[in-house]
Order: sequence, then C-alpha cells, then structure tokens
Amino acid sequence: MSVKYTPVQWNPNKWIYDGVMLAAVAAFLWVFLYVTPDALDHERAVDPQIHNARAFGACAFMMLTVILCIGPAARLDKRFLPLLYNRRHFGVMTTFVAITHSGYILNWYFNFSSSDKYVGLLYANSSFGQLAGFPFEIFGIFALICLMILAATSHDFWLKFLTPPVWKRLHYLIYAAYFSVAAHISFGILQDQQNHVFTVMFMAGAAAVILLHLAAWWSERNDPVSKDGAWVKVGPASSFREGFAKIKRLANGDRVAIFLMEGQLSAIANACAHQNGPLGEGKIIDCLVTCPWHGFQYDVRSGRSPAPFTEMVPTYRLRLVGDMVEVHPDANPPGTYVDPLPLPPVATAPIPKGEPA
Amino acid sequence: MSERPFFVGYLPAPGPLRTFLLSMCVLLIAGLAGAGFLMGAAQDDPGPGAFRFDYGRQTVTGVVEMTPYPVIHVVKGNDRIKPGDSFMMTAGGKSGVDGRAMPLNGQLAQVSGIVLERGDLYMMQVRGGRNGLQAAEGDAPEIMAEPQGRWQLTGEICDGKCLAGAMRPGRGLAHKACANLCLLGDVPPIFVSSQPVLGEEFLLVTGPDGTRLPREAYDFVAQYITAEGELTRRGDLLVWEIDIDTIELSE
Repeated sequence: MSVKYTPVQWNPNKWIYDGVMLAAVAAFLWVFLYVTPDALDHERAVDPQIHNARAFGACAFMMLTVILCIGPAARLDKRFLPLLYNRRHFGVMTTFVAITHSGYILNWYFNFSSSDKYVGLLYANSSFGQLAGFPFEIFGIFALICLMILAATSHDFWLKFLTPPVWKRLHYLIYAAYFSVAAHISFGILQDQQNHVFTVMFMAGAAAVILLHLAAWWSERNDPVSKDGAWVKVGPASSFREGFAKIKRLANGDRVAIFLMEGQLSAIANACAHQNGPLGEGKIIDCLVTCPWHGFQYDVRSGRSPAPFTEMVPTYRLRLVGDMVEVHPDANPPGTYVDPLPLPPVATAPIPKGEPA
Repeated sequence: MSERPFFVGYLPAPGPLRTFLLSMCVLLIAGLAGAGFLMGAAQDDPGPGAFRFDYGRQTVTGVVEMTPYPVIHVVKGNDRIKPGDSFMMTAGGKSGVDGRAMPLNGQLAQVSGIVLERGDLYMMQVRGGRNGLQAAEGDAPEIMAEPQGRWQLTGEICDGKCLAGAMRPGRGLAHKACANLCLLGDVPPIFVSSQPVLGEEFLLVTGPDGTRLPREAYDFVAQYITAEGELTRRGDLLVWEIDIDTIELSE
C-alpha cells in the first residue's frame, strides 16, 4: 500500500522472492549454456549465437509456465499465495529474457543481409498460406509485444491510471502471450527436433498450465449463483468464523466477502482495489481486512483503507432472517459505511486457539 | 475449518509456512536447473559444416560458369583444392557474387577466399573486390554439361552457405527465414537429397532451363519435399533443374 509512487517498495520478502527467482533463472541459463555442451556428443558445436538464443527462449517459456501455474495453484492451495506476492517481478524478468532471445535471433538469423534485420524478420518467410513452414516468428513477435506491454504497465501507477478492472483485463494478455509462445514453439523448433525430450517437456509444461486452470475452475464451479435482484442467502449465522469471511457469488458474477469481526458481520466486495485480489480469502488483522495477495487493508465496515491510504471497495447490506444470513446484491458505492450486523453471541463458531477475538 | 498460516507480504512469513516456502524455493531452482540440462542436452547434432579458417586463405584458378549461380571449375589448384574440383562461390554475409562473376562467365579467373566445407559440399566465400575474383591469363577449357536425365528426388532445399557451415545448424524449419534471406541475396541454393544421387548427397538446385530457383519454391525451403527435374553434371557438380509444378511435401 502506498500514497506515492516509487519504482519498487522493497521489503525483505521481495528481496527473497527476487533472489530466488534470479537464482533459478541463472541456474537454468548456466546449466544450458555451460554444462550441456559437454554432454552433447556433436562433431561440431551448435553456433554460440543459436545456443544462446535457444537457452534464453527455453528459459522464457519455462518462466512463463511457472508464472501461469502460480495463480491456479494458489486457488487450489492457499500455501501458494506467497508466490503471487511478487509475481510481477517474475513477469518483468521473463520479458527481459524473451527480449534477449529475440536479440540473438535478430542479430544472427536476420543479420548479414542487404536488408534491415527488422524488415527481413517480416518478409523473409511469407508462407502464411501453409501450416508446414508457416512463419512462426510472427507468433514470437506477438508474444514479445504482449510481454513488453505487460512489463511496461506492471507498475502500480498504471494500475491506478487504468483502474483495476481495465488493468486486470489488459494483463489477461499473459494468456495470449502464452498461447502465442506455444504456437511459436510448435511451428518452429518442434518441427525440427529429432530428439524429442524438448517436445515432451514443452507438452508437460503446457499441460500443467491447462490442467491447473481446469482444476481451479472445477473447484469453484459448484459455487451456487443467486437469483438476480433478490436478497441472497449466504449461510447460517453459526457458520461464520471470527476474523475470516465467507464468499458468495452473485447473479452478476461479482463476489461478496462477508466477514465476522468481534461478533458482527460486514460485507465488502471480494475484489481488492489493488489487483482484484480475493479479499474473502484474506484475514482480519488489527481490525482490518488484509488482502492475501499484497496485504492491502480495508475497514470491513466502510470498505476504506486506513488513512493516509485512499483505496476503497464497495460494501453490501446484510440481514438476518431466522438463523440465515442474507446479503443484498446491490453494491453500495465504494467506501460507503454500513452498520455491522450483530449476531447472537451463541451463533458464532468457536474461536480457534491463538486467534484474535 | 483448519487453521492456516496467513502470509502478508510486508510482514515476516509465518513459521509454519516457512518450510513449505523454502521447499518451493529449492524446487524452483533445482527444477529450472534440471529443465535447463534436459533441454540443452536434447539439441540435435548440427552437422559437420564449418568455415575452414584453419585451411587458411585458398587461391585457385578455374573457369567461371553461371549455372545461373556462379560456380568455378578448378583448372589450377593447390594442395587442398585439386584441378577438376567444382565449387560454388558466395560473398560475405547473405550475398552472392553474381555481379562480379557474370562478366567472367566462361572465362578463366582467379578466385581467393575461405572455404566452407560439409562432407562433399564445398563453397568458397570469396574476398571482396578484385582480390576475391579476377580474370586470369590463359585459355579457358570448355566445361561440358552432361545430361543425366529426369530424376524424382526427395529431400530439402537449403541455402548453400549456411548448410555448408556458415551456421550450425544451417537447415531445418527454424532456419527457413534465414535461408530465404540468403537465397534472396543470391547465395546458391542446395538440394540435400535423402538418398545419394550418382554418388552425391548435395546438388545445386536451379529453375528449369538454366533459370534461377523460382520464388514459388521459397515456400518449400527447409521442408522435406519430393519433386522432379532434369539432372546435369557440370564438372564434378550435379545441377538439378527442379520442376516447380511437381513439388509435393513429403512425410
């Protein structure tokens, strides 16, 4: 959370995150570049430029695969949530690795001719009418442009400037980039390989991304949707747990997080104003709802971040009918104070040991 | 509802989560290192082609022939290149030497440059200017074209320079755009036959009736194809005049 823009608000966890990420990338590149040549029984080595291009290209694919696995893994198992925390740095690093790959390709395959290498990249292979020999470079160009857009707009300034919904949609470009990278590989190096180890690893990586997303979708698909406009049943009063929320999906697709704090219920939008993180999967710390993604905090009664921060999320009205808690699907404007709904003292779930009351 | 440690980015990681996160860190680093090894060690052999700088600069005299791509049939060789050898010529980068060779077509010329070698395939990257290619004194013997009939061949069209060793690997679909750029720059195209043809694996490929490789054929560069065409031996070089209408992709 911030009231001013700084390039990176470093903290120990970010240093550790970036350190591990850089160590992993360095390990991949070092092994690929300096260890594997000794393992290859070739009469003459692959050109260093091509070897480098392959190393950085393969590394970018692996990094993208890891990045795209983190999201659904965190949906399926909350222990993966810390890996989301600094994922933007992972993405920016991937962009630089991909740019390095494209640099080696441009300065080798498309260099040394009488035409400009960027022009050559676009016209050298124009067999767009066929699958075999299709100019796969075009997929790589598209993916690189997507990655560069994502990296350039990754800072919170752009999040604020574009608004979270627009920013979030823009950053779905990561999927377009991944599919494009998959096409780039499928129409390129996979058509050439005699050794199919890379093919197997590529398919395993892509399958992991697809299966994790399907599993995450499957785990959430049984969440019943309310009827439009009417009060929506959330659950019996006794099912709420102090300091945590139940999440309810509304007919319009929005989700509401209903928190129990100090024996009273309050409802706010589930999407964090920062990056649409799932507030309902967060926790109340120091009387403030804390987002599990980046730790943004909100007063559960008003949806406002504590001063001097300015973030706000919509709030919702609640009522108790018998033992059933219901939420009204019409959202209040962000930051609107709503009186908490007191619950009968006996209705709340037992407070776990060590949990703040 | 089980109790779970809750991570907040700007606070120290909860104790119970640290072991899990530490194992994830190790897994990520070890996993990417392992992936780097498997992917790097899975690279195919790029073949034996190479610039033979170790041979030093080679200078020979021979008859220049535009096939239409420039070929030199050696008349006076040296300790490495013997009289009777024929090889293609190219300039530095993705450029041919058509402009310099054309005025010398059918004449005796001295050629100087660096050899690219891949098995039986030779090409010379000639030096710039007159030092690389210049007219030589003497009568040029006539180079006889020996027709070998119409052949159906299966294989791959490549640019001769990268294939011969300017790039490793210098063939395949990942190299297709580079090969096209070379061909557009007048580097001689080569057909790599899947089976030896009259003892040769590499053939200079041209269009019919002594024309250049048609642009339509560029779509099939770096792919495994079957096609028909007239085969001619010129010196010790086989020239295959591909019939563009017969090209088919092969499995």
